[in-house]
Amino acid sequence: MRECEQISRVSAYHDGEMPPAERAEFRQHLSQCVSCAAELERLERLTALLSSLPPPATPPWMLDRLYRAVDLRPVHVLRRMAEALSAVAAVILIACLAGLAMRSSSQASAGAMPVWESRALNQQSEESTFGGREELVAQWMAQDLSGKDGL
Amino acid sequence: MDNDQPPPTDWELVKRARSGHVGSFHELVDRHAPMLYGLAMRLVGRAEDAQDLVQETFSGAFRGLRAFGGRSAVKTWLSQILVRQAARYYKKEYRRRAILLDQRPTATGPPGQSRADLRMDIAEAILALEPPYREIIVLRELQGMTYDEIAAVLRVPRGTVESRLFRARRRLQELLKEYFFGPRPGAGEKESGAAP
Repeated sequence: MRECEQISRVSAYHDGEMPPAERAEFRQHLSQCVSCAAELERLERLTALLSSLPPPATPPWMLDRLYRAVDLRPVHVLRRMAEALSAVAAVILIACLAGLAMRSSSQASAGAMPVWESRALNQQSEESTFGGREELVAQWMAQDLSGKDGL
Repeated sequence: MDNDQPPPTDWELVKRARSGHVGSFHELVDRHAPMLYGLAMRLVGRAEDAQDLVQETFSGAFRGLRAFGGRSAVKTWLSQILVRQAARYYKKEYRRRAILLDQRPTATGPPGQSRADLRMDIAEAILALEPPYREIIVLRELQGMTYDEIAAVLRVPRGTVESRLFRARRRLQELLKEYFFGPRPGAGEKESGAAP
């Protein structure tokens, strides 16, 4: 039997992949063409054979394996973790620098006295000196008065 | 309350997985792993290899989450990755497979054998097809994809899908010729399978 030129179109007809108008036209052709009608029957038979194959059953452990595979290779989760670690590292670095700064300032205070501190101390000594003078003057004044009384 | 909400679409799950929600990716695995495993089994024929292929597919999909723009369905995208992974597998296994297939008879058991034999014959015939034919037969006949979906998965024009599918079916009919041209139980001695 010589094959029809349109035989390759039988697949699209069989699979419902023809536009409606074309399908109607091809149905007409099928009713007149032995070659295409025979092809259609073979395709129907092939599809029936293939549909007897059950879908392979997914092994029950496979999903867990797939979850693990994704969890173990989480590229962008790793990236996020790296970002979080970077942030933590930055905080630690800042804390370390701050600690170092405080430590060095306390060491510095143990060595050279800051200006404000020396000035405060000076002022305090001045005050104590002045306070001492006041006391002394008051004492002198009292002695003087009592001397006068005594004279 | 949550039960009233419709389940998230595949695309929504992809977007959540992109932002680091691994549980959403697990949900995609739940939804698509059985289909992908079926596809892989029919393409490579061995359970261990099929599992590896599915695993590689999901690993590849996870890596490519950001690159996936949602232009095709997630199912199509995953199938595309799997078919590409399978092509690598064919290259590695080509020689071994060719030797095995040379050793097996192309004409399989006559009709009337047990259903298990029939299924085995069909599965073997599919595996005996050249990879491009095998892919298109599996995508169309076993996965039920439309021509447009197949074109997207295989990255070929729709016209190529039609012509390749035609040739693949012809080749498969040859491999299963005992079921097409052999004597059918109670069908007399007709030579052609075209008889009504």
